[in-house]
Amino acid sequence: MKAIASILLFAAPMLGAQPFDTAPPVAPPRPIVIAAPDVQTLPNGLRVVVAQRKGLPLVTAELVIRSGTETDPSQLSGLADLTAGLLTKGTAKRSAPQIANAAEALGGQLDSGAGWDRSYVVMTVTRPQLPAALALIAEVVREARFAAAELERARRLALDGLSVALRDPGTLAQLAADRSAFGTGTYGHSSRGTPASIARIAREDIVALHARFYRPDNASLVFAGDIDPKDALSLAQSALGSWKRPALPMPSARLDDTRAGKVAPVVIAMPGVGQAGVAMVAPTIARAAPDYYPGVVANTLLGGGYSSRLNLELRIRRGLTYGVSSRLDTRRTGGVWSIAAQTKNESVPELVAVSMDEIKRVAQAPAPADEVEARKLAIVGSLSRRFETTEDLAGTIASLEANGIPVAELTRAIDRISAVTPQQVVEFAQAHWRDANLALVVAGDATGFLDALRKAYPDLRVIPQADVDLDSPRLMKNF
Amino acid sequence: MLRFAALLLCAVTLAHAAAPAPPSIPPLEFRERVLGNGLRVVTLEDHSSPTVSVQVWYEVGGKNDPAGRSGFAHLFEHLMFKSTKYLKAEQFDRMTEDVGGNNNASTREDVTNYFDVVPSNHLERLLWAEAERMSNLDVIDANFKSERAVVQEEYRESVLANPYGRFHEAIAPSSYAVHPYRQGVIGNIDQLNAASLDDVRAFHSTFYRPDNAILIITGDFDQKEVDGWIDKYFAGIPRPASPIPRVTAVEPPRTRDASYRETGPNVPLPAVAITWLGPSARSPDAAALHVAAALLGNGESSRVNQALVYRGQIAQKASFGADLNVDSGLLIAYAIAAKGVAPATLAKALRAEIERLAKTTVPAAELAKVKLQLLTQALNERQTPLGKGNALGDAIVYRGGARYVNTDLDELMAVTAADVQRVLRKYLIDAKQVSIEYAQDTTAKAPGK
Repeated sequence: MKAIASILLFAAPMLGAQPFDTAPPVAPPRPIVIAAPDVQTLPNGLRVVVAQRKGLPLVTAELVIRSGTETDPSQLSGLADLTAGLLTKGTAKRSAPQIANAAEALGGQLDSGAGWDRSYVVMTVTRPQLPAALALIAEVVREARFAAAELERARRLALDGLSVALRDPGTLAQLAADRSAFGTGTYGHSSRGTPASIARIAREDIVALHARFYRPDNASLVFAGDIDPKDALSLAQSALGSWKRPALPMPSARLDDTRAGKVAPVVIAMPGVGQAGVAMVAPTIARAAPDYYPGVVANTLLGGGYSSRLNLELRIRRGLTYGVSSRLDTRRTGGVWSIAAQTKNESVPELVAVSMDEIKRVAQAPAPADEVEARKLAIVGSLSRRFETTEDLAGTIASLEANGIPVAELTRAIDRISAVTPQQVVEFAQAHWRDANLALVVAGDATGFLDALRKAYPDLRVIPQADVDLDSPRLMKNF
Repeated sequence: MLRFAALLLCAVTLAHAAAPAPPSIPPLEFRERVLGNGLRVVTLEDHSSPTVSVQVWYEVGGKNDPAGRSGFAHLFEHLMFKSTKYLKAEQFDRMTEDVGGNNNASTREDVTNYFDVVPSNHLERLLWAEAERMSNLDVIDANFKSERAVVQEEYRESVLANPYGRFHEAIAPSSYAVHPYRQGVIGNIDQLNAASLDDVRAFHSTFYRPDNAILIITGDFDQKEVDGWIDKYFAGIPRPASPIPRVTAVEPPRTRDASYRETGPNVPLPAVAITWLGPSARSPDAAALHVAAALLGNGESSRVNQALVYRGQIAQKASFGADLNVDSGLLIAYAIAAKGVAPATLAKALRAEIERLAKTTVPAAELAKVKLQLLTQALNERQTPLGKGNALGDAIVYRGGARYVNTDLDELMAVTAADVQRVLRKYLIDAKQVSIEYAQDTTAKAPGK
């Protein structure tokens, strides 16, 4: 149908005046419009947050308890996640298989778990299934039975899952670096727990956590998708309106903010493993910190996205890794800054040295304005894409709720990122990174890199994989 | 690299699911045309966000790796982000990520797809850039070598560092006798090292041509404007006179059962996979196989999860997938053991579930459950311009036409309990199986301390 036109072009591609050697100009942008989510509160204190999106008949409903992994007692890491996981494994009315069947008969999947500052139950369904999905969410949150047999089943699965995860050099290095950076502090442990802590958790620990934190005045119900605030409120009222708020106010959670200070690098020896995992971790700012947005830009410049300085240097220029990333994990009362990459064993010393140089370089001088501008646009773009699916949108709102940030921040975030200056970025790096005590952990076949790494870090400690204890601040059994 | 991609969407309602009835799904109102040089173009306007997805799918993949160059199609995919006549290396990132978009690409056995998402005011530039790398790739040696090293790190990450990487890589070569699907996609370090810049040039001129490509544009654009840009940037790319080499190997039916054993240096729990040969994704049996796979392996309530993980507590993870390709595919039952359980126990339990489904009529409510799951998953996928483009690309490559995007779910919804039994008998019960057991290597004394 277009044959004539294409033959002409094909025959005479150079006749047109169009300069094909340069990209065409950019048209004026069309605005990104983000509406503020609607927030209402039920009489029992449950916050109901609604982000309506017209289009496809799909809704994500997420119930967020604003307490999670940070409440794990020091000997019982993994408690909040195990508790949340068991919500769907039996209620007063239904067994675990019956719950899974009921959820999946609605077309969705009932997921639950815990992370920092949050425990959640979430489901995405087509609009007609929403009332039944919400009733199911309410049932598992309020009437979970925590049967002993289900706890044992979940414990075995968690232990088997950990035995796999801890054989992955990237995962092991990351978990060990968290512990190394925070010592006995709360942020040193993992939401998944350790083999020893999972073995210790008893049913009464779970029941107590549930009684303490699962209450309507510590919860937010987030809807994202094809539903208006009025319908959402009435659904919330019918499913969760009778959920009683306890007479006593919410107890304040314990948070041990120990930081390890300067620690010697650690090598976890994994003989025969074909690639090393490298992790560097340090404490960082909380989500509510005044320099949060400069921090996000600084972190993206260093190691966020494909075109960060770390990825440019380590992957694109040197071919040392499939990908390196730096993450600013800001939480309600603090944060964790971490850098992670995997590389062939013999490249570890080079990867570590280059990473350290790049971190320093961000603090040395303001980045060129065009580099900062590009990274800011990259952040704005990835933020906008978080609003494209109901699941991502609900998750983004749930995260604000968990961190105690007003959800209207969604409408301001793009302007705030856009306003960050190169000077603020360098100031952030100078304030937080120049003297950061980065805990370095490498998990890999140490024969490939130990001597070279020891030249740079004479104080490094080597721990055989079998002797690693993630519950110990020194990472070794019997310490 | 299991793919459940061919589950596509259409305008249907489920008549027989649990009340209330699921919603009617609007069809994707796409437009198709073919340029004079053979380039297939699919466009779908959607103004729900000010972004647009540009995708170019080339019908070349791991099955087209040159002899002695296992992993080459995937290595080549990485090189498409390097320099061209008028683009610097990584300029795609400047034109996408740096303006608020992103880009990526993937290589599968049958297809390599490049996908960009940009603010819609950047659409014309992206069309120019995609046309440019279709026409004028010009990789320099330094970039070739550093990117090859990146791909080798990708190999180490997915195959060597991942405790189950070697296991996943063992499935294809154990399962196919003659079809080049047997070599997988990621390749190996030695054959990647053997690749040269001459191979890169030859591969581009052989496979990266308009008559082997599909351009898919979805999102915020004006149809008339975009039609003009497509003509301007793509219509002048010449169609080579040489034919496109196609894989003609046909995987023969298996004549016997076989079993293999694979080991790794770092395997915490043993695992097993059992495979059967499946038909092409274009087979009339594909829909029934996808429903059967969902009954067995989709979600927590699925049969193998309930039997092996929940009730039997013999597995840490268990699944079943219908991994259908353009040519013959694989039906794969898979489990990682619970601590202390032998692979043979897992294999027996997986087979028992398959036999039970094949021999006993599936209850209507269970059939309705998986259909609504498949519908909801498909709906989830098509929320974004990128997801809509993926659905269209999968329909074209795997099913043989974009139109299937609007009819395939009808087919899934029409699958009966008898269909499920029939295809399980045909492809599994009455056919030969290959089993692959995976465990810790206890013989090699590893170095290190």
